[in-house]
Amino acid sequence: MRRPPLVVVFVSLLVIALGETAGAAISQLRPQIVRYAQARVAANPQAHGLAGSAEYDTEITARAVYSAEAGLSFFHTHAQGLGPLALFASTVAASVVPWRRARGVLYALFSIGACFPLGYLAYSIAALEWGRDAGIEAAERFVLTPLGSAAIVGLVALAALMVAGRLRRRTG
Amino acid sequence: MTGRDSEVWLRPPLATLLTAILLIACAEVGGASMVRFKLELTRWARSVMLAHPAVHGLVGVRDVDEQAVDEALVKFDAALRLFHLHAEGMGLVIIATTMTAATLAGSDGARRALIALLTVGGAGYPFGYLLWGALIPYVGIQTGKTIAEWLVWIPFGSATIVAAWWLAALVGARLVRRP
Repeated sequence: MRRPPLVVVFVSLLVIALGETAGAAISQLRPQIVRYAQARVAANPQAHGLAGSAEYDTEITARAVYSAEAGLSFFHTHAQGLGPLALFASTVAASVVPWRRARGVLYALFSIGACFPLGYLAYSIAALEWGRDAGIEAAERFVLTPLGSAAIVGLVALAALMVAGRLRRRTG
Repeated sequence: MTGRDSEVWLRPPLATLLTAILLIACAEVGGASMVRFKLELTRWARSVMLAHPAVHGLVGVRDVDEQAVDEALVKFDAALRLFHLHAEGMGLVIIATTMTAATLAGSDGARRALIALLTVGGAGYPFGYLLWGALIPYVGIQTGKTIAEWLVWIPFGSATIVAAWWLAALVGARLVRRP
């Protein structure tokens, strides 16, 4: 199997390394992360709709902190999956797609798609800074959807180009 | 063609590939077993918890005890799920990273060290979740987690993290130095 360009390999490895490190951070620094998240919610009372009622505010804060922790956890698990996926899909592209420009487009799409897990970091931060629902919606719309779409488009295009390459070999 | 100049992937050692494939197989078996033996596993965990009431803070009052047992059972189930999830992921991470190390690591020493760290770290780490799950009924959620952390997650996880950053730095440096 042919190796994709170094930059694609580097992006994949970087995502894997960040994901593994995030897993360790979630486990070892959980109290600090929770305290930071609580402080950020308290610093953005309007975005979270805090009302000054201790019981209500505690519930709202807990939900926002839970979402931020979930985002970090999704970042960790998705990085374990998307890093290798980008590397393997690019390897298939390098090995079986005969057109140089098409390969270049696929490498770009897989490199962008490999960054999809970083969208969950944005998800965590946005949930704390802009309020849980507004932050999550913004992260999904402006970060996760574009990055995820790049990976999906890349995989579908790779499949189509593999078929096209096979047809070309048969007819040629 | 040497590792440094290779434009094709070089295969990591067979032992590494075998380890990764066995790990993925364990993950799949673990996932299937969780579904197939869910009832038996839950019964076993519950019976061990009831045999160790002090560990779980059981006081003999059904309403109070059920809540504590349920919480421990949720964590027990989560530990098994996390084993399944991490073993699947780490199997692929081992193949991807050791293939990269075999192809792009500069020296023999670095290549061997990276492959060893990535293989051992990646293969060992997910079993911390199995250990945690097995320990929960006997020693409780938090003590079980602490034991799994020190025996498995910290040593094996650190090996993987160190090697992953080392490899990323090596590839990054090659990218920068490239004419």
